[in-house]
Amino acid sequence: MKIIKLFIAVILLIISAISAVMYSGIVNVAADEPHTDLVYWLLETTREKSIEVAAQNIDVPDLSDPELLLTGGMDYEFMCSSCHLKPGRNQSDMSLGLYPSPPNLTIKAEEHDGHKHRDSTQTDRKNFWVIKHGIKASGMPAWGKTHDEQRIWAMVAFLKRLPTLTPEQYQILTALD
Amino acid sequence: MKMLTKIALVLIPTITLSTAALSHDPEMHKMANEKADCKNMDHSKMDMKDPVAMAMMKKCMQQSEKTEIKVDHSKMDHSKMSAEKSKVKKDDSHSSHNH
Repeated sequence: MKIIKLFIAVILLIISAISAVMYSGIVNVAADEPHTDLVYWLLETTREKSIEVAAQNIDVPDLSDPELLLTGGMDYEFMCSSCHLKPGRNQSDMSLGLYPSPPNLTIKAEEHDGHKHRDSTQTDRKNFWVIKHGIKASGMPAWGKTHDEQRIWAMVAFLKRLPTLTPEQYQILTALD
Repeated sequence: MKMLTKIALVLIPTITLSTAALSHDPEMHKMANEKADCKNMDHSKMDMKDPVAMAMMKKCMQQSEKTEIKVDHSKMDHSKMSAEKSKVKKDDSHSSHNH
């Protein structure tokens, strides 16, 4: 009986502590104030694991058709480049202002800081899932609500080649028809 | 009323100018280029089996086809054009005033 009472007391204490933190307003939600290393690691690890598990059974189609680069390129220019940048540009309002900072997709995945990258197929799955579903509280929208899967795969195909493109190649591939 | 007009005359330009000073390079908010810049494409350096090169070629060919359609000479009425041209020449040849 004593153990049950102690357990209930601990639970009430935890709920009280969480409520005190929530309602006191001491948590700084400003995007220009970074998380502590511990909080960042917790959120980052949770996010990466969640995406990895959710995307593991996605079948990756053939992404070598040049037509995909044209469709995906135009969509990338209008939907993604302001945050994830384009060849020849190192920063933008969005890349500087958003927190967590959106990854620079013009550099190779291995060069990104902070998290590990898996093989190419796993990266394609992950990119597809993230573009389709978005990520909560990160600024990444769920493009699957307005774009069909074929268009999202075209963006994935474009992302595979983006780090290898020169500014001139990028301009041609992403220009309007 | 006069006071209000004076205040408006001072405030409106001040607010407009200060907004412009706070904003950054407007170039960053330009929409994507409307046309592909195919002039600088160096075919000799391109691997034609590479999907990127194939996509670029396709884009530039589509663009050039569209430009040709826009300037479709076959649909032009040349007889009327020459008449217009000669008319202009005639008009141009009058000597009522100096050019």
